[in-house]
Amino acid sequence: MDQRDKEAIREIVGEDHFSDELIDLVSYSYDSSDHDHRPDCAAYPADSEQISRIMQLANERGFAVVPRGAGTSLAGSAVPINGGLVLDMVRMNRILDIRIPDRQVVVQPGVVYAALQKALAPSGFCFPPDPASGKVCTLGGNVATNAGGIRGAKYGVTRDYVLALEVVLPDGRIMHTGTKCMKSASGLDLTRMFVGSEGVLGVITEITLKINPMPTASRTALASFETLRQAGQAVTDIMHSGILPSVLEIMEENTIRVLRENYGADLPDVAALLLVETDGYTDAEAEYGMQKVVAAFAANQAKTVSQAKDRAEAEKLWAIRRAAGSVAGGLRPNNLSEDVTVPISKVPDLLEGIQKLMEGHKYPFVIFGHAGDGNLHPKIMFDGSDPEQVKEVHQIAEQMFKLTCGLGGTLTGEHGIGLAKAPYMRLEHEEMAMEMMRLLKRTLDPNNVLNPGKMALDD
Amino acid sequence: MTSEKHPLLEKFTEQIQHCTRCGFCQAHCPVFGATGRPALNARGKMLLLKEVLAGKLELNQELVDSLFQCTTCASCATNCPSGVDVPAIIKAARQEMVGLGTCHPAFSGMNQVLDDYDNIYAEDEPEDFDRERGKQAEVVYFIGCVGQYREEDATEAALDLLDHLEVDYTLIDEVCCSGVLEDVGFSIKPALAEKNIERILATGAKTLVTGCPYCYRTFNGKEIYAPLREAGLEILHFSQFLARQDLGVSTDLKVTYHDPCDLGRHCGIYEEPRKTIKALAPNFVEMPSNHANALCCGAGGGVRGAYAKNSLAMARKRLAEVEEVGADILLTECNSCVHNLANAKLRAQKFQVMTTAQFIMELLED
Repeated sequence: MDQRDKEAIREIVGEDHFSDELIDLVSYSYDSSDHDHRPDCAAYPADSEQISRIMQLANERGFAVVPRGAGTSLAGSAVPINGGLVLDMVRMNRILDIRIPDRQVVVQPGVVYAALQKALAPSGFCFPPDPASGKVCTLGGNVATNAGGIRGAKYGVTRDYVLALEVVLPDGRIMHTGTKCMKSASGLDLTRMFVGSEGVLGVITEITLKINPMPTASRTALASFETLRQAGQAVTDIMHSGILPSVLEIMEENTIRVLRENYGADLPDVAALLLVETDGYTDAEAEYGMQKVVAAFAANQAKTVSQAKDRAEAEKLWAIRRAAGSVAGGLRPNNLSEDVTVPISKVPDLLEGIQKLMEGHKYPFVIFGHAGDGNLHPKIMFDGSDPEQVKEVHQIAEQMFKLTCGLGGTLTGEHGIGLAKAPYMRLEHEEMAMEMMRLLKRTLDPNNVLNPGKMALDD
Repeated sequence: MTSEKHPLLEKFTEQIQHCTRCGFCQAHCPVFGATGRPALNARGKMLLLKEVLAGKLELNQELVDSLFQCTTCASCATNCPSGVDVPAIIKAARQEMVGLGTCHPAFSGMNQVLDDYDNIYAEDEPEDFDRERGKQAEVVYFIGCVGQYREEDATEAALDLLDHLEVDYTLIDEVCCSGVLEDVGFSIKPALAEKNIERILATGAKTLVTGCPYCYRTFNGKEIYAPLREAGLEILHFSQFLARQDLGVSTDLKVTYHDPCDLGRHCGIYEEPRKTIKALAPNFVEMPSNHANALCCGAGGGVRGAYAKNSLAMARKRLAEVEEVGADILLTECNSCVHNLANAKLRAQKFQVMTTAQFIMELLED
């Protein structure tokens, strides 16, 4: 990019909403992944019209444009790997409409997830996908990465809630997809094409989401098991029992040990823990679900079962689970945190497979995750200042991806491909599917200006 | 990744590496809240310092607007999943920068003023509040610069309340404690500290009560003020002193309380101010953010002087919470917070902003 390009962008967004100051360029070089690259400048657009003009300019002048929400991507999706312009969507942060009778909200992409929840709470409604970064991540980012969360087992992921979008296409045209109706069988599903597209197909500028009434009752229990297989069978039995738990989390022995030794958690020395929540709109409904869960625990020789008597006790159990990632992360300066996902019944196979992979390696690791939807978070701790360790840990990751795909799984349940997993796309996707993705990208973005370098679409 | 160029900063190398760039601090950083600019958030600052330590960046003037634009409110550190002590790191970075001759002019000006004057505002004539100074008494009341030169009404109320409670106290010819200089890259002035120590101890007092939370932190925590503690002096913030008093007034008004960062997150003093306020105002209500999660008023860390516009924007965010809970009265226990919040209050906002002492005096006078 040259001064002429920067001047043209300044003219579009206004002087106060443009920056090429070093502090901003450094900040926009990173997201929450281990990747980084300097952009040339950043702009804070106010509306889709400005973004449209910027995209036209990018095509004329040949610079890259990278849309960005809160920059919490764990896969490098927001890193401007080819430089260019970062579009920080922070100013487009208005909740445009809350339509309770239609069970819908219309938001701009820069609205923070938690801000939407706060706005919906007085009506007793919520937007159910529950990403761990919810207090900072933006809804535009949620849609662009098809964000999931801890309640995916019952409530699904962002994709299940997106009804309509306004998108600025890479060439600057503004397109509206989808419908404001709760159901529609009309035409190809363009909306879903953009959900999880990581900003490579268009800049999302307006989102219509389905919302749900917030469950008002819940039950929480923690069970421990002597073997992984028992815990795995308990998950299977719960799935057979005719209920859908709202949360079904698993933690394996390394996680348990780290929580006991480094967090002071009062946990037994076992192979696995299951933390389960059932919910509903009446106590009886939540209780019915929990009875089924406890029966599955008993049928699989759970060593201990603790049921929270009230919210405060439930919160104590949740605090243990929430601490797992950061407590383990503190063991070494760096960590590799993945989100490999398999069919629910294969969770024990994946857990055992990863444990076996780690045998003979010196790195501390933990595995926890969402057993209720098959999404695990293996976390390997290492020292990133040692190139040998970086190399070795990435080799382990590759083996883990092969193992996952071999079990019929996917590279990523919720973090996205970005830069981090781009080299492994072919492990999961056949060549024809890869070519179809590249064809879509080339058709919409022939000059490859929008978030280039991601998802192995440039190869 | 050490460069061995920045010894003060390098002490924090491991801490800086532990920042996982999760960005969760954005939910709590008042500077980000006011500006929406991630470069000013704690993560943005840690990224700059990471690159400095890796030798990719120089600690130069280009970094000032990020590293010097922090109220050191510690809400990032309080909420950091990785336990990164951001305020301590920012202080070290600022000290390194000052050592290299790089600083925001407002902060170098502050340091210069305290070479030439006894107070941070370069004022010549302190208000005497019609009270005797330096006499023998049980208690020394230490006003602090903001109370002495900017929030005189708040100080007057605190002193009137001490009179009303018939406390045996004295003022002294106080000078700036200069603790804040450490936050902005400089050091406490020994000459000023010596004057304060000598004058406080000369009164024979057993208790030192400060009107300012920062002075409280300085007297309680800084090595140079150890003689005060070694002399067996009990050091209290005014809110702690008040919590021990029986005030005998009450109100039906809806009252809320703003936790000053220097009192709350930095010293863990949350309950004493509430004890006093709840006793006189049964209709007490918490704002959405309170205790360790309280929003900062935007005045700290020298930000009010150096980045006034953003400082006021932070205060307005805090005041929006007062409106949200529909309080009639916003009380706080820090003159600096009162100053910034009162300045930021819009005419349309009908609630009043004052210190607890001011409110008590109003109730007593009614």
